[in-house]
Amino acid sequence: MALIFPKSTDKYVKIGGGVVALLVLGGISAYAYFTLPQVMDTGYSPQQPVAYSHKIHAGNLGMDCYYCHNTVYKAAYSAIPPTETCMNCHVRVKPQSERLLKVRESYASGESIPWVKIHRLPDYVYFNHSAHINAGVSCVTCHGRIDQMVEVKQFAPLNMGWCLDCHRNPAPNLRPVELVTKLSWTPDRDPAEIGREIIAAKHINPPTNCSGCHR
Amino acid sequence: MIQIQTKQSGKQYWRSLDQLSHTGEFKDWLHREFPANASEMLDGTSRRNLLKLMAASMGLAGLTACRRPVEKILPNVRGVEDYIPGKPFFYSTVFTQGGTGMGLLVEVNDGRPTKIEGNPDHPYSLGAATGYQQASVLGLYDPDRARIPMTGGNPSEWKAFDDFAKDHSTKLGTGEGLRFLSDRICSPSLLAVKAAALAKYPGAKWVEYNAVTHDETAAGGQLAFGQPVITRHKFDKADVILSLDDDFLGLDANTVLPQKEFSRRRRVTSAKDEMNRLYVIESQYSVTGAMADHRLRMRSSDVKGFVADLAAELKVGGNELQIVGGNRDAKRTKWIKAIAKDLTEHKGKCLVVAGPRQPAAVHAMAHLINQALGNVGETVVFFKSAADTVRPQLDAIKELAADMAGGKVSTLVMLGGNPAYTAPADLEFAANLKKVPLSIYLGLEVDETAVLSKWSLPEAHYLESWSDATAPDGTASVQQPMIQPLYFGRTAAELVAQLAGYKDQRAYDIVRNYWIAKFGGKDEAEKTWRKSLHDGVIPGAAQAEIKPTIDVKKINGAIQGAAAATDALEVVFVQSASVYDGRFANNGWLQEAPEPMNKLTWDNAALLSPATAKKLGVAQGDVISIERAGRGMQAPVLIQPGQADDSISIALGYGRVECGRVGKNVGENAYRIRTTDGFRFAADARVRKVAGTYPLAQTQEHGSMEGRPLVREANLEEFRKEPKFAQEMVEHGPLVALYPDHDYSKGYQWGMSIDLNVCSGCNACVIACQSENNIPIVGKDQVIKGREMHWIRMDRYYSGTGEHPDEDPQVVTQPVTCMQCETAPCENVCPVAATTHSPEGLNDMAYNRCVGTRYCSNNCPYKVRRFNFLAWNYGTEEVQKMHYNPNVTVRMRGVMEKCTYCVQRIQEKKILAKREGRRLIKDGEIQTACQQTCPADAIVFGNINDAESRVAKLKGQTRDYSMLEELNTKPRTTYLAKLRNPNEELAEKHNG
Repeated sequence: MALIFPKSTDKYVKIGGGVVALLVLGGISAYAYFTLPQVMDTGYSPQQPVAYSHKIHAGNLGMDCYYCHNTVYKAAYSAIPPTETCMNCHVRVKPQSERLLKVRESYASGESIPWVKIHRLPDYVYFNHSAHINAGVSCVTCHGRIDQMVEVKQFAPLNMGWCLDCHRNPAPNLRPVELVTKLSWTPDRDPAEIGREIIAAKHINPPTNCSGCHR
Repeated sequence: MIQIQTKQSGKQYWRSLDQLSHTGEFKDWLHREFPANASEMLDGTSRRNLLKLMAASMGLAGLTACRRPVEKILPNVRGVEDYIPGKPFFYSTVFTQGGTGMGLLVEVNDGRPTKIEGNPDHPYSLGAATGYQQASVLGLYDPDRARIPMTGGNPSEWKAFDDFAKDHSTKLGTGEGLRFLSDRICSPSLLAVKAAALAKYPGAKWVEYNAVTHDETAAGGQLAFGQPVITRHKFDKADVILSLDDDFLGLDANTVLPQKEFSRRRRVTSAKDEMNRLYVIESQYSVTGAMADHRLRMRSSDVKGFVADLAAELKVGGNELQIVGGNRDAKRTKWIKAIAKDLTEHKGKCLVVAGPRQPAAVHAMAHLINQALGNVGETVVFFKSAADTVRPQLDAIKELAADMAGGKVSTLVMLGGNPAYTAPADLEFAANLKKVPLSIYLGLEVDETAVLSKWSLPEAHYLESWSDATAPDGTASVQQPMIQPLYFGRTAAELVAQLAGYKDQRAYDIVRNYWIAKFGGKDEAEKTWRKSLHDGVIPGAAQAEIKPTIDVKKINGAIQGAAAATDALEVVFVQSASVYDGRFANNGWLQEAPEPMNKLTWDNAALLSPATAKKLGVAQGDVISIERAGRGMQAPVLIQPGQADDSISIALGYGRVECGRVGKNVGENAYRIRTTDGFRFAADARVRKVAGTYPLAQTQEHGSMEGRPLVREANLEEFRKEPKFAQEMVEHGPLVALYPDHDYSKGYQWGMSIDLNVCSGCNACVIACQSENNIPIVGKDQVIKGREMHWIRMDRYYSGTGEHPDEDPQVVTQPVTCMQCETAPCENVCPVAATTHSPEGLNDMAYNRCVGTRYCSNNCPYKVRRFNFLAWNYGTEEVQKMHYNPNVTVRMRGVMEKCTYCVQRIQEKKILAKREGRRLIKDGEIQTACQQTCPADAIVFGNINDAESRVAKLKGQTRDYSMLEELNTKPRTTYLAKLRNPNEELAEKHNG
């Protein structure tokens, strides 16, 4: 009986099978890699409805983070400020600016500005800003040099392993509370040593058990 | 029929998804490869929508993970004073039920009321709240609420009604033919509007009617003293209490005060302490009966004869009172002698109370006995009633129905209460309502009355509107809104003000101006108003105490009367522990809350004693027909040990036909056989068995502890002899743990103590927990499968050693929740470490890690873990999501959950303490949700590392024991053993 396919077909089948296997493997690896928080989330920088520059406000003008994010010492959320906060200054500063049109519109109409959320934790994670800030964890530890960002992008992966690294060894990331919003602060001695002093003084004992963050 | 009903045929989110699997639609869908009418599935109101969403979500699960979902943050435009996003506000308000107001504190998270607590400053709450009150927040977000005004069954709008009302009020003239029908009013501002309306329309009449009333209590006071009085029992002052069919720890109290006060006298810390003694005479087993030291089951209609004989034995009223009693047997005579002796020995320190179902004569007799025993001014005090005369509600509604039937009523304004459903059956209210040319109904739901009314208007919920209310002693509180009305509802006062042309039209103005005028003085009044809003109590509004005296001759006539005929069965109409008079029928939390004694959910049933059931030849789940007064109803039989023989108890409030999706056609309507001459109970029922059986969803069918002392109980005398009886009850060998002990030398170690001696099993904690922890409800089918989700299981055990242990048992209740074991069996078996031990001793449960093997639940000896067999929270409407506690994860299908000691509250206070630079949290600073609402203060939570903490001290008592300690689980929740204080003369009936 004559062969339906020539003998050489075997070769193509083997190569084809190999390619498919490689593609599947590659696909799985790519999926695994690109969904890593470090890859998928870090560096996320969506376009915001208003081209607000932290670099101008917090960097060049030297405004304190706390001026706008004023719930950070008291609450779990470091709230986005109401439009009113923008208008505190912008009724006088650049009152006609084209770029501030949406802010003025919001102020006049009462409709909120739809800011795009950048730092997003899963719903089952209960992160509390006030607990961290009052312990002496600076904004810069998790958010990076916001004062140098024209458009805010996510600095840290914010995954659980990354959180736990610090919860297990908080000393290098602690500073006196009054310096937490000084993003450019550099310690004059070993930061871990400063951290250890703060830990001793404040009895800091970050939880590493589940219910510390999951409720 | 009406348009709004299309909204109500939508997703059955309340019940289980599995229930849908019994519908034909689901089966069709399942068996077709491609669903027909695919376009139909896009219809948002179709049931299939839910299934479509489910399928789509499964298909898209992989895809959504690849793209970061974009979320928006919408800050306020203008800042709100003191508002910090994520931080709750607490506002005081007042909850009205049965003509009684009770102060509350409501937690408001980002503008959404989410949790109800009692107001510690309110004299009738003292920080505790009832199950009804706890669940009322769910009613606010009920998507089945009435949303728009309707006229003649067609949707309309408020503007149309306003125009109509303006025009119509000019045609009313002097108000001949105008009638108002409302619940019993305890709102001073509404009373002012009512007075204005009756002044404008002198020919009009105002009728007050409640299906569940304390009318006979009031009538009894009138009968005894010749003037209306308000009676206040001081349960904490009484050494001996006799309850005549009065469930004062449970349903018959509109506030938590009786439980608060009663429990104070049950708190035994050492062998030297005294304890009160409670006798209960009742027909249906109630939580008060379960608490009793001696309980005599007796038909409600025999109580009158009993109290007459007791009065004779006590020789109260001298020779003036001639009593002809009912049937007497040896047991009853013995009881009467023993109780009379006990009461006489405690003159001035005893208390006789009568229940609201008992006729006025029984109340009058209770007053007489209290007076004769010198209790007046000691354990019972009287206040002047706000009303000058008490008009029995039944007379009033009878007259109204006659007027309606006779065509004398041209305009009927109904302010809630659903009278077409709740009015006595012989008044044929629904039929007569159709004869009224103009009927206006203001109600929260589109109910039986709304569909029959010319105009049905959406009412504002109490959490979204201004009003006020008074507690029994006259203590007034302002009801302030927590949120804008969700559906533009209005209040009763607003509607009446509109019709009467009252000087103020908006609820806020009506309430505020009423009180500002009362306070007097402009600046001072404003200050007092603000303080009243803040505190939740209006200063100086309470009534003065009075000391009335009894006219014995008047009682003499009333108390006479032959005992009821005995060949017929007695039917007792009781308010439902879940749905009250039917108004909470659409509240899933309440529907699924197990009845305290028989643990029935999602239904009512005819409760029969085992002997009566035997006599009638019926078994549990059989259907019987109950007939009386020419009317009949069918109901399934539930055999209730401890029920009085020849007496059937049936809960009102079920069998609603015009109701939301949750409560529609749940249970049987007992109003069908409730007539004006048999309003509370009637001893003239005929019962026969009809074909068929009916499945009943009980969360606990078993009543025995199977020889294991889960609840440990002793008599006071035994406890005095052996203070450590509870700890010595179980003998076991040395207990060795497999794993080393945890180190708690630093920081906190949480623990809980539950005092079984004061716990009445009232369910308030169950609902509080449900509200705090976003616990779903599952529906009747799933309860039958044992899949209810309550984190607190209120166990009920029967015990009895008399001649008929199943006929006349004693009852103990025990709240069982996660024990947070030190050597927890669940932790060892979890393959993914989703449940682990925290450094503070909790068994942490990480939902996001759980893969649903259920090994932990299998290994839990207390069976307190709950598994999400189905996606109970799936397809929840947006408005319902508003009740969720934002600090607790909403769990999905396939995840195990359990009590966490309200870990969100622990963490909040820990962070607060750190922020304030405090080393440790103060004792009592953290309250778990169950502890906070417990009307008996039975639950105490705290840090057991602190020897001075309340919980550590309670755990040091000799009554403290661990449940199943022989398993060496070392539970952190321990119990204080129950005690009873029996009278020696009746002692052989019961044992410990």
